[in-house]
Amino acid sequence: MWNELLYAFEAVATLPNFIAMAAGIWGGVIIGAIPGMTGTMAVTLALPFTFYLPPVTSILLLVALYKGSTYGGSISAILIKTPGTASAACTVLDGYPLAQQGKGGKALNMALVSSCIGDFISNISLFFLAMPLAMFALRVGPPEYFMLMAFSLTIVASISGRSLVLGIISACVGLLLATVGEDMYGSFRFAVTEDMKSGLGVVPVLIGLFALPELIKMIVFRPEDNNPAMKLGDNRLTMAEFRGSLKSILRGSVIGVILGAIPGIGPSTAAFFSYSEARRTSKNGDKFGEGELEGIAASESANNGCCGATMIPLLALGVPGDVITGVMLGAFMIHGLTPGPLLFQNNIGEVYSLFIGILFSSVFLFIAGKLTAGAFAKISRIPQTLLLPCILILCVFGIYSIGASPFDVTVLLVMGVVGFIMMILNIPAAPFLIAFILGPMFEDNMRRSMAISRGDLSVFFQSWISWGFFALTILFIALTIRREWQKWREKSRDAAPSA
Amino acid sequence: MTPNRDFYTGLIATALFALVLFVLIPIYVKVPSFIPGFAPPPNMWPRVVTCVGLVMGILAIIFAIPKMREARGEPVTTFGQTLYRNRKLIVRFGAVLIGFAVFTYAIPAIGFVAATILLLAYLFLMSGDYSRKTWMIGLTIVFPILLYLLFTNITHTPFPEGHLFSALSADFMTLI
Repeated sequence: MWNELLYAFEAVATLPNFIAMAAGIWGGVIIGAIPGMTGTMAVTLALPFTFYLPPVTSILLLVALYKGSTYGGSISAILIKTPGTASAACTVLDGYPLAQQGKGGKALNMALVSSCIGDFISNISLFFLAMPLAMFALRVGPPEYFMLMAFSLTIVASISGRSLVLGIISACVGLLLATVGEDMYGSFRFAVTEDMKSGLGVVPVLIGLFALPELIKMIVFRPEDNNPAMKLGDNRLTMAEFRGSLKSILRGSVIGVILGAIPGIGPSTAAFFSYSEARRTSKNGDKFGEGELEGIAASESANNGCCGATMIPLLALGVPGDVITGVMLGAFMIHGLTPGPLLFQNNIGEVYSLFIGILFSSVFLFIAGKLTAGAFAKISRIPQTLLLPCILILCVFGIYSIGASPFDVTVLLVMGVVGFIMMILNIPAAPFLIAFILGPMFEDNMRRSMAISRGDLSVFFQSWISWGFFALTILFIALTIRREWQKWREKSRDAAPSA
Repeated sequence: MTPNRDFYTGLIATALFALVLFVLIPIYVKVPSFIPGFAPPPNMWPRVVTCVGLVMGILAIIFAIPKMREARGEPVTTFGQTLYRNRKLIVRFGAVLIGFAVFTYAIPAIGFVAATILLLAYLFLMSGDYSRKTWMIGLTIVFPILLYLLFTNITHTPFPEGHLFSALSADFMTLI
């Protein structure tokens, strides 16, 4: 193992990899710092460029973009009261009051330090947890995989939107679109035109769904941005301030790792949970929301603590836990690598290189944040009216360059419109995307199971692993229905006195 | 009762999945005469997915009814009134669709770069913020050309030149 690690270290410590990581971190921080631009957008926009890079460099670039954008969200949250990403929403609560007090630089420093610590702990957990999980997953056959995917989709469908029903509708549309083209036995499905025979490309669908709706929304609704931007001010973070927040940073990191490793939950929930725990247990709990550094530490360590952990189910089981890891799964497949237990058998060199590279990226994040936080603060003020149209043009060029196919450009634009309509109808996009990516594997495992069992459906309930995932799916659906029922009852109770 | 957004979502989803289940699958998913082993036919999975989607669409409509009952005290706005009130937004959305459609058809006609320049100009115009005119004009011309040079030199992508320009340049060459 140590020899393989040493070899992986040598493979990662090359100039192209360092350039990819540095570019990814800086690019991610810039995109994350711009309100309206998300980490998902950063990763999907970079996807076409990874076609021309070696597999490990590509994945490191995408991981660096993810980490950079998660931290970058805190810059606009602190300085312009607009979280660049959803996971930085908690950072606004204490970050902006600190910036108003002339301590914006201090708040940014705390965000950076806690992000880096959370990120590092998350990477270490990835290193130690992914392999045992993958070894366990080697005992899993097609029926168990089918159940696991059903479980993951159920979680994503119920958590990402405000209603389980809308989440499942979104997942069904994604699964249906994934069937377009040739199936595993050579039959064509929904091949309305000649171009559709090869199916819909993952990249145009992803970029269309996540990058374009923001542009269409900007054109249709023409929102105004009125938040005044604060200056950096006091920049120093003292040792006493750091020590005072260390407990929250460590707790937040562990919360991030645990919630990040569960498919569907993600950094936003982790940040809110960590923030509320810090507020409950801190001796300065009553000052939270008025400019408390510990609040920023709790929120930022938790959201960055998810970054490495979300890759645990992706690498070990081949199941993406959120949209960004869904895009990364697409990137793995583009390079001929299939995440899951077999990756640890057939491509262990790449896996170790990835682990080492991900650890390096924490260091890059710290350096990038330290050197250029002030410059990033200016970038967060770029008007969307200039930025979003240019992003569309970049997407169009990027998509066309993948296969020199005008059909892919059409798919991109159509998916952008579909994404906007889904946004208007409150249908969450995350289940759609994960279902679209998992769709072929989901169907493949179902058809293999049916073929093995000669059409007997009981094959899905023959092992304790299948039963376990089935029970978890049912439990999760029951809990979601209970939650929605309670919400509905509370709403009715609130409405009753006014009526 | 005032129909709310969830009601329309359920309605659209139900209509979409019904269309796929009863029209598109029978026409566009061909079942081969021989399937090896005991593998299910290619239309089984799309049928299962659309059935689940159809049930969820109906459930979305059913769950929207209590919310509509709650809102019965509020002034009723008809579908036509809602459309009229949001006419500006609908026109802008329609304009985006037209812009995208024209762009798709313009690529083979006038070439990739010219089409992207036109699309970028159109999007800047549609943004409604004209406070940075110089930036807009500069970016409209420079950005697509820069990307064209980047992609042709680094990834060697053959971008379409457009048959109109090709025909014009051929005529020009003949004249020379």
